[in-house]
Amino acid sequence: MPATPRTPVSVPRSSTSRLLASRRRVLSGALGVGALAATGTLTACGEGAAASGLAAQKAVDLQGATLKLMVNQPHVLAFTELLGTKFTEEFGGKLEVTAIPYDQLTSKQILDVQGGDGEFDVFDYFYFGLGELVEAGALVDLTEWIGANDEIATDDFLPSIYDPYTLIDGKRYGLPFDGDTHVLYYNAEVFQRYGVEPPRTWDEYDAAAEKITKDSGGAVHGAIVEGQQVPMILGCSFINRLAGYGGTLVDADGRPAFAGEEGLAALQHLIDVSPHALPTPLQTGFDQANSAFLSGQGAMLDTWTDLGLKAQDPSSSKIVDKWGVVTLPVGGRNTTPRTALDAGFGLGVSSASGQQDKAAAFVQWATNQENNLLLASTAGSGIDPARTSVLDADSYAEAAGKATDVIREGLDGTPLAWPNQQGAPKALQDLVDQLALAIQGKTPPQAALDEAAQSWEKTLG
Amino acid sequence: MTQLTERRRERTRAGVPRPRRGSAPDGTRRAVPGRHRPGHVPAWLAAPSLAGLALMLVYPTLFVVALAVTKSSLARPLQRFTGTDNLVEAWESLAFAGSLVRSVVFAVVAALAATLIGVLLALLLHARGTRFGVVGTILLLPLVTPPVMVGVAWKLMLAPVGGAFGGVFSALGFPGANPLGDGVGAFSALVVMHVWQWTPLVTLLVFAALLGVPGELREAAALDGAGAFRSFTNVVWPVVAPNVFSVLLLELVIGLKVFDLVAVVTQGGPGVSTIVAGFEIFRTGMRGSYEIGTAAAQTLVFGLVVGVLTTAVTLLRARAVKADR
Repeated sequence: MPATPRTPVSVPRSSTSRLLASRRRVLSGALGVGALAATGTLTACGEGAAASGLAAQKAVDLQGATLKLMVNQPHVLAFTELLGTKFTEEFGGKLEVTAIPYDQLTSKQILDVQGGDGEFDVFDYFYFGLGELVEAGALVDLTEWIGANDEIATDDFLPSIYDPYTLIDGKRYGLPFDGDTHVLYYNAEVFQRYGVEPPRTWDEYDAAAEKITKDSGGAVHGAIVEGQQVPMILGCSFINRLAGYGGTLVDADGRPAFAGEEGLAALQHLIDVSPHALPTPLQTGFDQANSAFLSGQGAMLDTWTDLGLKAQDPSSSKIVDKWGVVTLPVGGRNTTPRTALDAGFGLGVSSASGQQDKAAAFVQWATNQENNLLLASTAGSGIDPARTSVLDADSYAEAAGKATDVIREGLDGTPLAWPNQQGAPKALQDLVDQLALAIQGKTPPQAALDEAAQSWEKTLG
Repeated sequence: MTQLTERRRERTRAGVPRPRRGSAPDGTRRAVPGRHRPGHVPAWLAAPSLAGLALMLVYPTLFVVALAVTKSSLARPLQRFTGTDNLVEAWESLAFAGSLVRSVVFAVVAALAATLIGVLLALLLHARGTRFGVVGTILLLPLVTPPVMVGVAWKLMLAPVGGAFGGVFSALGFPGANPLGDGVGAFSALVVMHVWQWTPLVTLLVFAALLGVPGELREAAALDGAGAFRSFTNVVWPVVAPNVFSVLLLELVIGLKVFDLVAVVTQGGPGVSTIVAGFEIFRTGMRGSYEIGTAAAQTLVFGLVVGVLTTAVTLLRARAVKADR
């Protein structure tokens, strides 16, 4: 569909950020030499969040625009083949996409701004890295721009993700792009073969995993547990169970709350299921887990909701029409299923961008209802619904198939959000380090959780 | 020409030493206005090199020191002077102290293994003739493979499900063996991968050194009745030993710098079993905490360890050179 002609506005090239970055670099260099003799505050860098200089109430013409995007590697298809193609068709413009591995995304975004390169206009950011990006002054404060721009339809963003994905200290720094939660997928054919029912509790999950692994003689692993030692992988697996046992990460005062009974049960579950899981959980990352499930090597996998789309794609799946999906199991005293906001992404404007108005207009365009629906309904895009209207759309339900109700239940509920303030990435990394030591058998589970909780107290205050 | 020769003869007969270049005929030094003494390089010519050195070495070092003694994050370096706080933070962190030990063990074991195997391969190749040949070229293949690809290939081969080595382990009586699944196994596997990749460098350099062993010495030793082993220990080794120690030093440094393999194959796991110093510095500064100040303090401590280790090997090499002379 051709773009509606808009009134081009003169976009003053915001060179302030570049100058600030250059000045910071020079000052850093000078201070590097003189810091030893200096006393007191040496602060020369990081000006905090960049103030918005966006033309909030003016239409911005994206016609012919070229924008540079730094995106999460698993999202590359969404930006190149889907949004990139559509952007060219609608605006005659071009998206230059740089994909970054998920464990380096936040640091690369900070470095792009603080290092003075300022190469990118738009960042596809992890929500739990939002505080770090804001602290680094890497994202433009979009509060006023969002408030003045009714077309964004913020009330359509899923309430469960809107604030966690975009809000820091009362200011908004982006728009939700990928509403990530986990559900439990299972191989229905394997379940039938070994007489197992989809689990409703983590205990049933354990029993099913053990039975399938034993009865199949190891040909099929009863469970696939993602345990690679990074927050986005092992963090998800632990927090899924923590939510299932009725626990939470921090209490109302912001103090760590995962070292109690529920957290211990969650960690113990990860330890107990290991013998029956694809060997070994600590070696299993996102790609290995998906491959094993789609090839029929594993019978259960708690993972992101878009796996169902891949499972129905004959080019990548051997289990087309042979899978099922349920909400994450519950455990302990908890009887109400609850998922977690595992990973999840927003789109923000780089403070070093020389065309912030266009970058913001792109963020609005990329997160609108039409595009979110396109991405969430396309296998391999890695994008899940971020808007209520998309989650409720018939066409999305058609694409998501049998996973639809489970996904809706998770995102419409009160999923467990991860912390997103400054220090959150370190706190989460410290947590998964301790979890890994416990799973490896090097540290007792309770001691590992206590150690992680101490680190959270120190890091998050 | 004739007069000059005659003058030299007279001096020799009279026991007068030959005047040095740049000296007056009576032997005293002669100042030549506007000319530099032959063989003497003016100090200012070293300025570009010193400037380059300052730029490439001194400045970064000072910057790292500055980061190490200040509160510095990836976003906000050099916030305020904090003295030794970063050192304490580094030392108290979960994995750093252990990572130093692992780095040293990794580097020493890998360097010794690669050097030993590399020397043996070089001797075998040299026994075939003085040309490196097709076999030698094939042996070099691991060396020219990017470390990331080496890591990916080995990781796939060692995968517990569907890995190429699964059948091998079963044939050897270890069905279901999963070296990357436990700490010792994963660390050992990394050492094997590293040795596999860097042994060819030793082979190449030692082979070149072997070509420098005078053939007459070998022949003389053979005529004197020395066997292959005696000929190696008494003739070949003294000549190539300095080179071998140089290569050992090189291998040691390469081993201390290992990062790619860890990042690709184990990500430091399981647990902290394969976190070496370089990877821990990366984790601290670039992943999760973004604490550049602490990472800088870790870098300085690691630099100290590297310095001690390399100095020891350098001293060994110096002794070998002295013995050779």
